[in-house]
Amino acid sequence: MVLQAEVEGVDSPRPVHLIDPIAVAIRTRRPQRPGSHFEATDPSPGHDVAAHPRVARLLHNRKLQFLLILPNQIIFWLVIGIGLLGTVVPGLNFATAITWYVWFCLVFVMMVVVGRAWCAMCPFGGFGEWVQRHTFWKRTTKSIGLGLKVPEKVGQYGFLLSVGAFLLLTWIEEFFNIAGPGNPASTSFMVLGIVGSALLFFLLFERRSFCRYVCPLTSIIGTVGSMGSVAGFRTRDREVCLSCETKSCMRGDADGYGCPWYTWPGSADSNLTCGLCSECYKACPSDNIGLYVQTPLTSVIAPSRRRADVAWAVALLWGLVVYQQVNALTFFGRIDSWLNAHTNFPQYPNPLDYIGVIALVSVAMAGASRLIQLAVRRRDALVPAGGTSFVDRTSAFRQYFVPLMYGVIPVVGADYFARQLPKFFQHATRVVPAVGHLFGAGSTSSALYNTSIIGSNSGIIAVQVSVVALGTLAAMYASWRIAGRDLAGISTTPRRAQVSAATFALVCGVAAMALYVLMNAAD
Amino acid sequence: MTVIETPIHVSVVADRCAGCQECVIRCPQGALSMDLATWTVVADDDACVGCRQCVRTCPFSAITVEGPLMVSERLDPPLHHSLRLVGSVEETRVGFADLAAAQAEASRCLACPDPTCVRGCPAHNDIPGFVGAIREGDFLLAHEVLRRTSILPDVCSRVCNQSAQCEGACTWSLAGGVPVAIGRLERFVTDQVPVPAPALSERRERSVGIIGAGPAAAGAAWDLLEGGYGVTVYEKDATPGGLPVWGMPDFTLPDDVARRAWRQLEEAGVSLVLNTAVEAEKLEELLEVHDAVVVAVGAGVPMRLGVPGADAQGVIDATSFLKSAKAALEPGGDSDALLERLGVRQGERVLVLGAGNTAMDVARMARRLNLAATCVDWLDERFALARPDELAEARHEGVDVRFSRTLSAIHARDGRAAHAELARTEQSRASRAPSVLLEDHEFLEVSLVVMAMGYRNDPTFTAVLPGTPMRKSAPAIAEERWRASGILANTASEYANHAAVGSVALARESGLWAASLAARERVWVVGDALTGPATVVEAMAQGRRAAAAILDAQPRRPGRINDESSSARVLVCYESEGGKTRAAAETIAGECFASGLDVAISPIDQVGARELAAADVLVIGTWVEGFVVAGVRPARAMRAWLAGLPNLAGRRVALFCTYGVNPRGALDEMARVVSAKGGVVIDRQAFAARNLAPGALEGPDGFAVRVASHLAKEMVVRVAGRS
Repeated sequence: MVLQAEVEGVDSPRPVHLIDPIAVAIRTRRPQRPGSHFEATDPSPGHDVAAHPRVARLLHNRKLQFLLILPNQIIFWLVIGIGLLGTVVPGLNFATAITWYVWFCLVFVMMVVVGRAWCAMCPFGGFGEWVQRHTFWKRTTKSIGLGLKVPEKVGQYGFLLSVGAFLLLTWIEEFFNIAGPGNPASTSFMVLGIVGSALLFFLLFERRSFCRYVCPLTSIIGTVGSMGSVAGFRTRDREVCLSCETKSCMRGDADGYGCPWYTWPGSADSNLTCGLCSECYKACPSDNIGLYVQTPLTSVIAPSRRRADVAWAVALLWGLVVYQQVNALTFFGRIDSWLNAHTNFPQYPNPLDYIGVIALVSVAMAGASRLIQLAVRRRDALVPAGGTSFVDRTSAFRQYFVPLMYGVIPVVGADYFARQLPKFFQHATRVVPAVGHLFGAGSTSSALYNTSIIGSNSGIIAVQVSVVALGTLAAMYASWRIAGRDLAGISTTPRRAQVSAATFALVCGVAAMALYVLMNAAD
Repeated sequence: MTVIETPIHVSVVADRCAGCQECVIRCPQGALSMDLATWTVVADDDACVGCRQCVRTCPFSAITVEGPLMVSERLDPPLHHSLRLVGSVEETRVGFADLAAAQAEASRCLACPDPTCVRGCPAHNDIPGFVGAIREGDFLLAHEVLRRTSILPDVCSRVCNQSAQCEGACTWSLAGGVPVAIGRLERFVTDQVPVPAPALSERRERSVGIIGAGPAAAGAAWDLLEGGYGVTVYEKDATPGGLPVWGMPDFTLPDDVARRAWRQLEEAGVSLVLNTAVEAEKLEELLEVHDAVVVAVGAGVPMRLGVPGADAQGVIDATSFLKSAKAALEPGGDSDALLERLGVRQGERVLVLGAGNTAMDVARMARRLNLAATCVDWLDERFALARPDELAEARHEGVDVRFSRTLSAIHARDGRAAHAELARTEQSRASRAPSVLLEDHEFLEVSLVVMAMGYRNDPTFTAVLPGTPMRKSAPAIAEERWRASGILANTASEYANHAAVGSVALARESGLWAASLAARERVWVVGDALTGPATVVEAMAQGRRAAAAILDAQPRRPGRINDESSSARVLVCYESEGGKTRAAAETIAGECFASGLDVAISPIDQVGARELAAADVLVIGTWVEGFVVAGVRPARAMRAWLAGLPNLAGRRVALFCTYGVNPRGALDEMARVVSAKGGVVIDRQAFAARNLAPGALEGPDGFAVRVASHLAKEMVVRVAGRS
């Protein structure tokens, strides 16, 4: 670790020579205008929450994010400590009770409603950022750490590194039965591991490279969160941004840091990479950034730039949740044991079937989109020239695969959410005796320890199926709209594309619902 | 052009490219454009020349460029070394021989749309502009471009350390290559067509007195003259010109070139009062006869090393050596007489302390007087202060330059310096002072010791001019346009002796900004007198900034009949968040305007040096931060802005703040800072949020009326004083 410098920028003299003395020699080219590129994604001016003076004042306050992070920071350090030192009864230990019965579920609710709200208050990234900036909220001028840039070789795959991290973390969680919940100490070690690796990345790389590329949750929050109703920080007038000479929102100024998430409000077309940290809002010298709300699903349906990393992330993440459903089935247990016996692997889950199921589902998703492509494509349709990167390359296959995967985001989101519901409905009330236990009050015989919000299996399944059904309807709507725009021109008829896409979403949804019913039967 | 086979490849990380086009608008080659489908940047490898400005300017580091710099070799005219060094004062560095050679070099310039060289130049010459004019062969246009920012292109092109300024900041240099020979090209323009004389405009009654006749004074006098002011220059020497005339050897700066500006100024009507040293205490007398005074006395007190034996005979300072050696080497000069006066014989050794540019001049002069010369400097050679080319030339002429050594004692024989005892030093970083190694000493036989370690300001002037000499410093968070240009991205150009050209250039801005603000009422300080020892170009640029400020502020001496608008100029500056403070500021400004005052209103982050310089009265307002009654202070941005203010030189200041519950000591804190900055607080008031409506009791209008009536009373007192 290299300590670059420790200069507090707080009361340091502000540069007063703001008027550039050498404008005479600046002959920069005129920036290109985006034409209609952002038409579908630009939020309506009336949806700018920051137009309200009180909100504006709040967002300008440098302590805002600190105050969002602080409670979570306290809770998660308590989780670490109590998980290690508290009772080994998972249901009665505060660490396991709060993390697995409540937190994970709440994160999903926030994701679906808001987008990256969790990222704005995340204690893991928050801790790393406090250390990196060596302050809790102030605008410091130098950072601690090496400040490396994420290499192109990794950066070009966008969210896929994060998907890999999520798959790895989930496998570890299954292997040690952390989220079961099992031994509370395992939860502590997992949280410590996340905090530690976040800190490491914050010290190695610049800004929130960890959050953007590595964090296990960033891909799922990004993709599922694009259903959310918060568009994030966006430009109020793009012309002002294009002619802005300072780009303080990206580079930072005395009032705010440059975007830690590598997002420019001037070109954001979805909430995918807006961490809601409000730094751009603080830094903008022209007060040209607003915090916008949007109709749910807008960031799924509207973007005209569709990213292949997001599409593959959706396919892989769905593979994972399907695995988590399938693994509850009796026959799967037998397959896993058989594999373990033949590969000398000690216990569930065998990595081969873990990877196998996820790969199978992803390939099936790709295969299905290929089939749709073969069924509805226009033979004379040309593949437009795309970028050279993994994210933006175009191909006949990607023309269908990528939009179709965007379309099923609501199914995947609903499926993940439904998967968390049993623990919440059955055990969320245990948080109260778990807190009481710290003060010598709660026990496994407490009434709330043995109460459930919904106790019966059939009740829970009914809720799960309803949630997925809602997600399926949303996915069908989204797929219909996406196909109507993105696939219409390259398909034999727009209607065929729309019907195929919506049917695909329906099939995915029905499969998820069926698995929940089957899981119940297995139980 | 050298044919380079290795291809250039530009990669854009599509995931991180936000389509902000910071690179697109700056690419000299137009090799970058937008992919409208993905709104990311695409690069045309074939058009790219590898200058990497895109890499330096991308806010998200999403661009990498691989491959060589596609630029032809730099064409520097060969150095001119006289066959016989002794007695020669011929210029070592010569200009381009012909237009074709200059054009070939000019064609290496990429004409960057956001030129970093311009920021590297202390005067901010439009370098791509005049280099482009050379390519066209249009020298008048080149002069026209240079004239906008410089009146001394012939001098600067010879004496500037371009490697640490424009050339060090050339995009090729920042990319690790060899920069365009900007200095030589500038000189070529002035070699072909003489620098045009000042263009005179209609004369006004106002007059400005300038103390000193160096480059800073020339810059101020030139622009004031062109602005119609009467200019009187007081110079202690018999000839104007300052250090370039008496201190720079002819082989670097021919006398004719050094005196050119003053010749033109005198012809244009500047009154020169020569052989007249104005003491600091006479400043008040000058203020009685002039409407404004510009102090450009330089920093001429030589620094001396207080080692044992330093008071022996044969230990002198650089100023006296340079002055007398220059006279001795001129036609008709007697170098033998000088040597005799100095007490040395031909062939004997001069020890020069220091290895900066002055030390190089001393040593090279000594070589021309047929003396052996050794320079010692305690800095490490990597961090040498001298121009790299000057150092090389000195060594070529036989000067023995030793770094990492310092003088620890002078041993005298018969009261005269005979041996120098040198200690070794070690320096790990440029920012760290060298440490002296006590155990490792060497002895050198010397006949003369010249202390050329630098100069400092005249303490009598610094005593009466608050805030001088100032310390130039770059702000902790660099202004974004500087960062956007990419000049700060590469901190250590090899070509510039690993100097952080960008941040040094940015720090210089604080000197330019301070020069445009009066240090006291009607007194401006410029050049070395303001910043301590610096460069010719910086001094000239500061002089011009002060002239612009004077032309703008139009100060008047008491007793002058008002020939123009007499209303006091009020600048209302505010820091507002939710809009309440802005509303209060607008009410105040409106009320002041209604009272017949000349009013300007601006948020603090848009207040520039000009606006501040022109204001007679400042009304400063802020919101207060804090929680209800805890930690209540002026807003952070206001505190930082106040901290960054220069000396207010007795300007009257009215303070206000807006608050929700209780302003606590916010106004006291502001008043303390303002007073410490030399401002006079004439009024202050805190407005509760509920009292901001126009016409409210205890509201802003009442405050404005008080401020206006205060100024009116002051005016009456002044007029009464005059009659």
